[in-house]
Amino acid sequence: MPDRKAIHREKPKERFSYDPTRVLNKLEEYGRRILEEVKAGRNPYFDIPTRGLNNVYFDEKRRVIRMGDKLSRRYFLNVAHARKFMQTLLLMAYVKRLVSENKHASLREAYYANKHTIPGTKENTFEDQRESDPIIEDLERMMGVLREEMHLTADRRGYIYGDIVIRDGEDEFNTSKLGMGGWAVPGTVEHLQFPEINVDYALVVETAAMADRLIEEKFPKKENALIIATQGQASRGVRRLIHRLHYEEGLPIIVFTDGDPYGWYIYSTIKQGSINLAYLSEKLATPEAKFVGMTMDDIERYGLKNVTEKLKGIPPNKKGGPTGDYKRIIEEMNYPWFQNREWQRQLKMALKMGVRIEQQALANKSLEFVAKKYLPEKINNGELLP
Amino acid sequence: MAEAKQLFKEFKIQSVSEFFRRNAAMLGYTGKIRSLTTVIHEAVTNSLDACEEAGILPYVRVEIEELGREHYRVVVEDNGPGIPEKYITHVFGKMLAGTKAHRNIQSRGQQGIGISGAVMFAQITSGKATRVITSTGNDEIIEAWVKIDVDKNEGKIVRKEKHPNPRGWRGTRIELEVKNVRYVRSKQGVYWYLKLTAIANPHAHIELIEPDGKLIVFPRSSDEVPEPPVEMKPHPRGVLTDDVYRMARKTRRNTVKRFLIGEFSRISDKKVDELIEYIAALRLIKTVQDKTVQEQLYEKLAKGNVKAVLRSFKGYTKVVRQVAKMMEKPPEKLTWQEAEEIVEAFRYMKFLAPPTHGLRPIGEENIEKGLKGILKPEFVTAVTRPPKVYSGGIPFQVEVGLAYGGEIQSGFELFRYANRVPLLFDAGSCVTTLAARSIDWKRYKIDDPERAPLVLMINVISVHVPYTGTGKQSIANVEEIYNEIRLAIMDAARRLQTYLSGKHRKMAQVRRKKTFEKYVPEIARALSILTGEPEEKIREYFMAFIESHFAAKEGVSENA
Repeated sequence: MPDRKAIHREKPKERFSYDPTRVLNKLEEYGRRILEEVKAGRNPYFDIPTRGLNNVYFDEKRRVIRMGDKLSRRYFLNVAHARKFMQTLLLMAYVKRLVSENKHASLREAYYANKHTIPGTKENTFEDQRESDPIIEDLERMMGVLREEMHLTADRRGYIYGDIVIRDGEDEFNTSKLGMGGWAVPGTVEHLQFPEINVDYALVVETAAMADRLIEEKFPKKENALIIATQGQASRGVRRLIHRLHYEEGLPIIVFTDGDPYGWYIYSTIKQGSINLAYLSEKLATPEAKFVGMTMDDIERYGLKNVTEKLKGIPPNKKGGPTGDYKRIIEEMNYPWFQNREWQRQLKMALKMGVRIEQQALANKSLEFVAKKYLPEKINNGELLP
Repeated sequence: MAEAKQLFKEFKIQSVSEFFRRNAAMLGYTGKIRSLTTVIHEAVTNSLDACEEAGILPYVRVEIEELGREHYRVVVEDNGPGIPEKYITHVFGKMLAGTKAHRNIQSRGQQGIGISGAVMFAQITSGKATRVITSTGNDEIIEAWVKIDVDKNEGKIVRKEKHPNPRGWRGTRIELEVKNVRYVRSKQGVYWYLKLTAIANPHAHIELIEPDGKLIVFPRSSDEVPEPPVEMKPHPRGVLTDDVYRMARKTRRNTVKRFLIGEFSRISDKKVDELIEYIAALRLIKTVQDKTVQEQLYEKLAKGNVKAVLRSFKGYTKVVRQVAKMMEKPPEKLTWQEAEEIVEAFRYMKFLAPPTHGLRPIGEENIEKGLKGILKPEFVTAVTRPPKVYSGGIPFQVEVGLAYGGEIQSGFELFRYANRVPLLFDAGSCVTTLAARSIDWKRYKIDDPERAPLVLMINVISVHVPYTGTGKQSIANVEEIYNEIRLAIMDAARRLQTYLSGKHRKMAQVRRKKTFEKYVPEIARALSILTGEPEEKIREYFMAFIESHFAAKEGVSENA
């Protein structure tokens, strides 16, 4: 069968890399170093890459948001650091137990498991989950290890549907044979393996409603595609899954969101990573992802003008502006990865027209329009935005 | 002193006892508690002064024996130089003739009649003579019973005995029997008076035996006998008509001019010439009828335009010549009126500030010793300000001591002194109280001044302490004195503040250390899990590390 599609599976660029002993070794290494420092009469410390915007930059070559090299040193013998120092070690010990016992815990479980009153004081090791969560992020940055690799799971969100076989521990299943609801992506996808991949590409869909529509219209089967529903902003599990499917299995990634600043931001995070998780971009981001829609051009091309909605906020040329959606669009225009003709054109059009367009507005044509015409046409003709 | 002179006149006419009763307030004999304190005060002051002049470290023992209701025997014994036999009546008998009543000298005795007043008080209330036992350390001890001869205004020995002195005892012991007084351990009582006296006289060892037999010792905390004050020539601005009049009678100079130059400080030949012009000008101004013109002339004179004032009168040279003539007559011929004129002219003239070498402060070191020795505080500091001048010519000096914490009970306490003598009454109107109250103690880390364990002592030193009222227990609110007291307090308070913040630092250091120590068990457990080393060992490593870190930090700085 001649290859009539513009999109098809490529050669893998990364290998399955999950190795619990690596995490365990790192933990022990850090613990030993601390102990050596104290024995030598020196103030022990952790070097933790600083969080926040001022330690984040866009790597032009690899095209991802990356963490800078600014470090903050967390000492034991410093009134301002001592508590965090103790908390860091507490969570490190906890992670060691989790990984070596091959158990997983949620962030909240990690908080409760380590919260107790320090003997002889009225002080708790952790007063609040807001104290433990940042320490876990610190550990990720410090050791260059994913939270998931430490067996700490994030909230799960998102599901997939398509003709691929997944091996999850002792279970093995095809995600197109689990019913219309597909397979829910767990918090940790590190250990998953993919014995069989029978699709040409993965279509990442913002809304569950649209994903359900495509499944009902048998789009995955007809177009040989895997549907990944993010259900809003993509969770870490979904982003890691997308990354792995692309780099380990060579699946092209195509993103389909609403035509509004929020949808474009979802695309941006999948593609380049986010500022918050900049230190994980190399494991979470997929810079080769492409964007199919919704675009501003679609409005004209498919005659959708009457189903657009007005942007919220004040336009930049009006008094008090820009605010709301307008402000968001202008911010996005300044992102380094949107510095290309196509995206600048889209964003400028959005500002000029002052409207947004939802994925489901395509139902205005007909329910099957999106699955039969819109997507196949654009994808197979390679009408994708970078 | 005009008042005193007046009194003296009356005193001649009426009986001594009558005089005494009438002027009890001025002499310090009002109220049952205060009268007893005054008796003690006079006796102790005598002892301290005598020791000071003889360069002896004083040992003073006060004993109060209750003989009946409001009836006590007071015994004061010292190790002073003793009194030669022929001076006994002089010391204990002469009213208004004390050795320093009219000397221009900073003295403890404020009342003018001193111990003879106490003898008088005993005589009036109990009818008993005062028993004096004294020896100069020679081979005899003299025991004498002294009364005051009210007709002659003289002391009279009613009975005398001589005893051998084989051990060479030296000192004076006086016993007075007094009635109508009461011993109370209040802040106006004897106990309090002696305590405050001990603080201001750290070179003295003072003991008190209370009526119930309890012995209280205020030990000596300094071995340095203060130098006795020297007599200073009075400054023209600091004298009254009576002083000039009386001094003129006593002087051995030949002329008024020589008398003025010789007996006063800051008066030269040239100043006398100036004085002549001022007196002449004042005489002439007084002849002017028109009040407003007169006022203008006074103002001109106050500005120092004496020549211009003189020139506005015809034939002023004649008046000047008259005054000049007065300056050449013998001083004993100086009339009261002329003395008045001189003093008035002094008020208009400008003089150099008076010499201050006659002032004898306790000294910062000795104040600190005194406060430390008696109050046992944890912190003490003292400030002696340089001498200053008030109302144009009267030198004075302010000293302040500050004691904090230790055995001091909470509650702010002010100890007031004038020339080292504790002031126990009329605190409310005293300039020291006003100045102390005006300080914002919170600025000096005393958060709750009402409850802080803080003692503030203030000593105002001057030849003429400006007392309010006749009681001489409260210093007038003179601006210059008020300001000096404030400056001294603030200086001392700053040092206290530095001390207190140091204390806070130390406490913070201990807290800081705890901050680290409390985490050690948690850290040890975690590290034990991570590295496999025994928990107990890791704990030891960390504790040793904290210990060595803080030991190294001690006394240096604090960064941890």
